[in-house]
Parts: sequence; structure tokens; C-alpha cells
Amino acid sequence: MRTTTSKPKYTWQILVIVITVFILGLNAIPTLYGNNNALLVSVIKPSQTQANTQQIAGAQQLPSPIQLPSVQRLRKVMQQADIQVKQIITNNTDSKIVIEGDDEALLRAQQQLKNTLSDAYQVRLGSQSAAPSWLQELGMAPIKLGLDLSGGVLFVLEVDTNKADQERLGNVKDQILQLIHDQGLRGVSVKIAASNNTSEGNGAMTLQFSPQQATQVKSLINELRQELPDINYTKTSERNASLVFTEQSINTFHQEIMAQALTTLRGRIAELGITEAVTQRQGKNRIRIELPGVKDPEQAKRIIGATASLDFYELASSDTMGAKNFSDEDGRHLTVAPKPIFSGSNIENANAGRDELGMALVNLALDGLGGKRMSEFSKANIGKPMVTVFSEYYKNTNNELVKSSKVISVATIQSQLGNRFSITNLSSPQAAADLALLLRAGSLDAPISIVQQRTIQASLGQENVGNGMMALSIGLSITLLFMALWYRKLGLIANASLVLNLVCLLGLMALLPNVVLTLPGIAGLVLTVGMAVDTNVLIFERIKEERLRGRSNFMAIETGYKEAFATILDANITTMITALILLSIGYGPVKGFAMTLSLGILTSMFTGVFVAHVLTYLVKPQIRIKQQEQI
Amino acid sequence: MNTTPLTTFSKYRLAGFYLAIGLIVLSLIGLGTKGLNLGLDFSGGYMTEFTTSQSIAKSQMQSQLASQLSADFELSSSAGNTQWTLRQADGVADVIDKTWLTTFASQSGFDITPQDSVYIGSQVGAELIDNGSLALLVAAIAMMLYLTWRFEWRLACGSLVALVHDVIVVLGLFAWLGLPFDLTVLASVLAIIGYSLNDSIIIGDRLREVMRAKNNMSMSDLVDTAIKSTMTRSLITSGTTLATISAIWIFGGQPLQGFAIGLFAGVVFGTLSSVAVSATIPQLIGLKPEFYQQRAQALLVNDEP
Repeated sequence: MRTTTSKPKYTWQILVIVITVFILGLNAIPTLYGNNNALLVSVIKPSQTQANTQQIAGAQQLPSPIQLPSVQRLRKVMQQADIQVKQIITNNTDSKIVIEGDDEALLRAQQQLKNTLSDAYQVRLGSQSAAPSWLQELGMAPIKLGLDLSGGVLFVLEVDTNKADQERLGNVKDQILQLIHDQGLRGVSVKIAASNNTSEGNGAMTLQFSPQQATQVKSLINELRQELPDINYTKTSERNASLVFTEQSINTFHQEIMAQALTTLRGRIAELGITEAVTQRQGKNRIRIELPGVKDPEQAKRIIGATASLDFYELASSDTMGAKNFSDEDGRHLTVAPKPIFSGSNIENANAGRDELGMALVNLALDGLGGKRMSEFSKANIGKPMVTVFSEYYKNTNNELVKSSKVISVATIQSQLGNRFSITNLSSPQAAADLALLLRAGSLDAPISIVQQRTIQASLGQENVGNGMMALSIGLSITLLFMALWYRKLGLIANASLVLNLVCLLGLMALLPNVVLTLPGIAGLVLTVGMAVDTNVLIFERIKEERLRGRSNFMAIETGYKEAFATILDANITTMITALILLSIGYGPVKGFAMTLSLGILTSMFTGVFVAHVLTYLVKPQIRIKQQEQI
Repeated sequence: MNTTPLTTFSKYRLAGFYLAIGLIVLSLIGLGTKGLNLGLDFSGGYMTEFTTSQSIAKSQMQSQLASQLSADFELSSSAGNTQWTLRQADGVADVIDKTWLTTFASQSGFDITPQDSVYIGSQVGAELIDNGSLALLVAAIAMMLYLTWRFEWRLACGSLVALVHDVIVVLGLFAWLGLPFDLTVLASVLAIIGYSLNDSIIIGDRLREVMRAKNNMSMSDLVDTAIKSTMTRSLITSGTTLATISAIWIFGGQPLQGFAIGLFAGVVFGTLSSVAVSATIPQLIGLKPEFYQQRAQALLVNDEP
């Protein structure tokens, strides 16, 4: 705080204000223009179009690499659908067609493009800022709108980490059984303790053996721990021992599962052609997905909620230790090796197609490891069958997640295979397309279930924007009018700083990533307008009092600003505390409100104290006082 | 304390204080007997909103729906029976989705446009109650810590009682009127905490200042002086805030209704409590001007002249 009483110049203050308001103001402008609907046309991943696919059965001809359609062609297609094109932006990977018109026109345009262009192209929906291009080139974008303003679908998914724990224990059990078998330890048994959902859910494993076998079991465990150092071995009695994963290992495992689930879900959303989705972790084991502008929630639900995985097995005789049993569609029982040759995670790419008989199939491309395993396996097993098992989690009538596995194909290996081959004999083209999509996006090891879902129609979103803006403009007008009438010249200063406050707040919201404007956010904005004048009122009342005490005009203003500051700070800190608490607990609507409230406190402090002070100095209002106001 | 006769202003202030206590009691009775009507956010379940192009009698819609839906549901309408909200509990057999509505529209002959559909698992709702209560508690504790650090404990106590009053009265109002209590209303209650303290702090600040300056007045008169000199400010700020909240209430549409009602009531009762409660309590539990005068002397060495 300055303590000098000589008239200050305020040069640097003015400079700071002009620069800040200029930058934030520029950021606020694109929001006023809003967004235009746009379509993104891209070529489906080039690796899928290379034609060197080997197949287990059947052959398929794939088209040669393709180019993006020319701008003229796209314009013509749009003309056919009677849609006004504003702009076409083409870069290396995709063409963005910015169109005029609402969502209905957008869908019509998408349909038209899909019908006209070949299957090799993907048409996704998106949006493009409607602001002048020079603003866009500066990297300025409009404020992102929440689902309640833009319309769309919200999912909150829960990742079942308990199930994943059990799955992992099951794998360890198979491994131990294998070791027991290899070392010829007869009579040693492994059991997974039933996990009770009330506790941590991390079931333990118990080993039972006869006392003479203790040393051999010890060496078995040592061998196991070379592979799995995170497992703890405790001997509980002469005949029993327990095996548990360490707390830390379980935590890391859960973190990995969540990270995998997030990546996979992001991949699936990208596959669905949604460009502006928000995917974030919510709490310990939930994932929040916001899909603005999704018109078909059922498809989104089917793809996002699916927990499909694919494993490829070698047939085995029924007496193999740890062998797994599956049954195929005809009810035949098949016994396969305990460990798959490779699993869905080794799949690099997958796309749906048809064989020469018109049957649906999925073409697969494996990664290096999967390719190597496949090559080795097929070389050694020509003429023998390979079993493809498709597993999925579903909810049974008791609302419990159950894993169901079914054999989708038993194919005879004709020749040594590389990293490319096909799964044939799928029931329908839709099934093939869904399977290909799921395999492309990666599999989920832990089952997920939808715990919250919301679908908001775009028309409701527009209505909400209209209502919010109406409330904002009316609230703002009343406040501006009142301040101008009550405080006259000082009121104009308050009004100027209030408008600047709103500009700075909008600019800040557009500038900061992760800030989304929602309907409660607009309410927070309106509330900020009503409460921001408090700062000015406190100061002006103080100035009036100082004048009553007989101070000069200039001194009264200076003392007023100085004395009121401590009170203003106190008042704003308390509001800030509540806003921060709201931010920490809230998701969705509460978060939007807390966000604008807390940012509003920052900007109103800046404009109410700093900007208004400088403005008062520049305007030099004469504060006249009536003697009867004296208390 | 009551050696000097009370001024008219003091009488009004004390009357306001007793009114506030009465309101708290009334609200607690409401909360105890009727309880809060927890909205979908907290109870979990399904909610479907749709509009019809023509106004349809509620009983007709109710019976039409009942003939199609095997499960229990709750129907409410607004905007002259053209906007409909259907609520179902989590875990029901027959869940309404877009296809269901389309079939229903064709069978009943109503022109139906789906608007909004929400599903919240009952687990999520239960967690939210925990988190919400925790947030209220944490907010209250954080405020108390900040206030005791900033003010003398008796002043802090006054502000805290005012704050508790505001929260309880708003919750009581929602209980008595049976308005749905959802996540946005919780947000408004938390915003009220901030607003209420804001008011109390400004009066407390001023009270501290007059106590330092004038030691020839009775405590009651000092409190009156502090309140009177901040009265204009309290009324202007409450006025502009209430005006903007009314704008949200009237124009913000249905989704913000509960939020606006909560805030409106909070600001009205918050202004009452900051004037009548926050400065009266310290007086009643024995705050004396001597305290701040001694403190001012002790601090004089460090203070700016």
C-alpha cells in the first residue's frame, strides 16, 4: 500500500489495466460469435488399406491407398444436399467442411457424404469457431459449452476393480497350477479365498500341502516370486500358507486398470467419430464421459459400455492342468490350453469386411509380439485347429456382472500365418463392425458398468442458453441502472468496472483450459454481477463518510479505497473458501457454478478495487454531501 | 448491560434476534417432521422429460402412462400441461427411453418430443449425500478457523450462529414447501454460507472499529452505530443481488428454479441475520469495548500511526 499523500501518476497501473483488458477482451470476442457446425472427412487409417492380408479362410481384395476427396467434389456433394458451405479447410489428414445451418442440416450433410463417398472415408461431426479468421489464427476459441447448453449425452462409468483383482488372482492360480504340475507336486492344492465385497475385495489365495512338501513348496514360491515379486507369502500353519498381493501392488494395479480404461474409452470415442468429448476420471474408480452433440445415445452406450475381449487358444487334451473349457454355438465342448497364444491387446488394427460369399468378417493386424507368436504357433501347428474365444461382461438378473465367453470360431490353420489374418463366419455385418471397432480401440480388462446417464436434446440446450442469457442481461441492466441512479458519477465508474469485470471473466474462461460454461455457470455469472457491486458500494460509502468527516475530495477518495480494502479482502476470501470447497466436491452442475463464482471473485477484485480506483482518479468526481446524512 | 434504556433501533434489533431464533426452531420442526424432498441427484433413479405440442389433462396422461408402464412412476407437469417430468426408481423393470417414448406417442396419439433423460445409480446418490454433508461441514469449520484468526472469538461466534441460522432456515423452507432438494440447491446453500459471512464480516469489521474509537458509549449503542453505518451498504448489496437472483428465478427457466429460490431465501434471511444476529450475539455473551481498546494499545507499537 502506498503511504504517500502526493498526487500519484498511475502510469504503470493504467498500462497494466489496458494490457489485461485488451488480452482478456480479445479472448472474450470469439464467444460472442459462437460456433458453426462442421464435418470432418478423413481416410480410414492407411494401414488398413494395405493389401497384404493373409487369411485363415477366404480371401479378400482391399482397395489401394486413397486420397482425400477434392474441395470441388465436396462442394458439389454439399450442393446436392442443399447445404450452404461456409468454408472448407484441408490439411494432411482430413478436410473440414464448415456449414451454415443447425444440427438437422448437419446430420443431413453427414448422411449425404456417407452415401456419396466410398466406405474408405470416415465422416465425423465437429464444430468450428465462427469468429473472424485472424482471431482464430491467434489461437482464440469460444468458451466451451457444457452438455446442458449444447445438448448431448453424459455417461458415468464405474470400473469394477474387484472383478479385475479376481481375474488377476485367477491367472496367478493357473500359473501356480502349472508350476505344481511341472514339479510333480502331487496333492498340493490352490484355492482362491472367496472375496467378500464388504472389505477391500482383494481375495487371498491359500495353498494346502502336506508337511513333508514344505521345502518343495518354498522353492515353488521362490520361482513364482521371480516373476511376480509383489506377492507376499505367509505360512499360516503346518499345512497351509497364504499368498496375497501387497497393498502397494494392488494400488498400482488399480491405477493401471483405470489408466487402461481411460485410454480404451478415449479410443472408442474417437472411433465413434466424436471430436469434442470430455473424458475424465471422477473419484477413485469412475470415469465421466461427456459427448456433446451425440444424436444416437444407444449406439454410444453399446460401444462405450462394452467389455469385449478376444483370445486365441490352442486346443488341448482334457487332462492338461489348468485347461479351460468353452462351449461353442452348437453346444460342443472344447478344451483349450490354459494360456492363450495371444490376446486382444496384441491387435494393432481391425476392420470389418466381407468374404467372397458375402459373409461378414473382421480383418486383423497384429503388433510385433502377437505377430511373432502367431507365426511360431502356426508354423508348428499346420493342419491343427485354433480356437477364437470372445468374452464379454454382462449384468445378470441380480444386477451382478458376469463374464460370458463363447467360441466364435474354430479354424484349421492352412499355412504359416504372419501378423495379418481374418476372423470369418460372423453373424452379421453390424456384429463385424462392432467387433472391429472394439478390437481397434483396445480391450478392457476390468468390467465397466454405467452408473449415471443423461441425454439432453440440443433444442433444450438452446433454450437453456436463451434463458441464461436473458437472466444475465436483465440482471445486468437492473444493476447498471440502479448504480447509475444512486451514485451518479461514481455509479458510472462502478458500471464501467462492472462491464470490464464481465469482459475479463468471459475472456479468462475462454483462455483457461478445462473451464466449461454450464447453465449453473451462467447463474454464477449473474450472481457475480449482483455481488461485484458490493466492492464498489463499500468503497463509495466509505468515501462519503470520509467526506462527512471533513476530508478533502481527493483525500476522501484515497482513504476510502485504502480503508475499505481490508474489509473487501475479508469478504472475498470467505466467498472464495466456499467456492473452492464447492469446486472440490462438485462434478457437473456444481462445478460449473463454483468455477464462475471463483473466477468472478478474482476478476471483481481486480476491476472493483484496481480499475475503479484508477478510473476514479482519472474522472475526479466531486463528491457532495448533504449535512442531514450525518449520523 | 441494560443500564441505559434501549433505543428504538435496539428494540427492533432484539425483536429481529428473537424472530431469527423462532425461525430456526420452526425450520428444525419442518426438517424433523417433513424432511427434505431429496431430488434425483441424491435419491438415484430415472428421470425423463418430454413435451407435448398440446395441453393434455394430467389425469389422462397419468392413466395412459399407467396402462403402458408396468413399474411405478411419478408424473409432474408444468407450463400448462405441456411439459412433463416422469420419475422412476433405480432398478425398475420398465425403463423409458427414446424408443419407448416413440411407441408411446404412436399408441396414445400424443405429439411427444423427448427433451432430457437422466439415470443416476442409487449408489451415486448415496455417495453424493455423504459428500454434500461433508462439504457443508468442511465449509463451516474452514469459516470458523478463518474467523477466529481474523476476529475475537465472540465476534466469530456471532457470525457462525448467523451462518447456521441461514443454512437451517433455507433447508427448513425447502422442507416445509416440499420443494425438491437437488445438487443445484446444495450449491446455492453453500453460496449462501459465503454470502452470509460476507455480511457478518463487514458488520463485525465496523463494530471493531467503533469499539476502538469510542469508549463512552454502551455496548448496545456501539452495536447500533456499527449496524446503522453499514445499513446502506447492506441494503444496496442485498438489493442488487436479489434483483439479479430474481432475474434468474423468472427468466432462467425450470432447471435453475430451485437454485434461485434457495439463493433468494438465503439472501433475505442472511440480511436479517447479519443485522439482527451476528452483532447481537457478541453483545449478549459479553463482548466489551475495553477488549479492543486494550488490544489497540498493545498493538499501537506495531500499528501504522
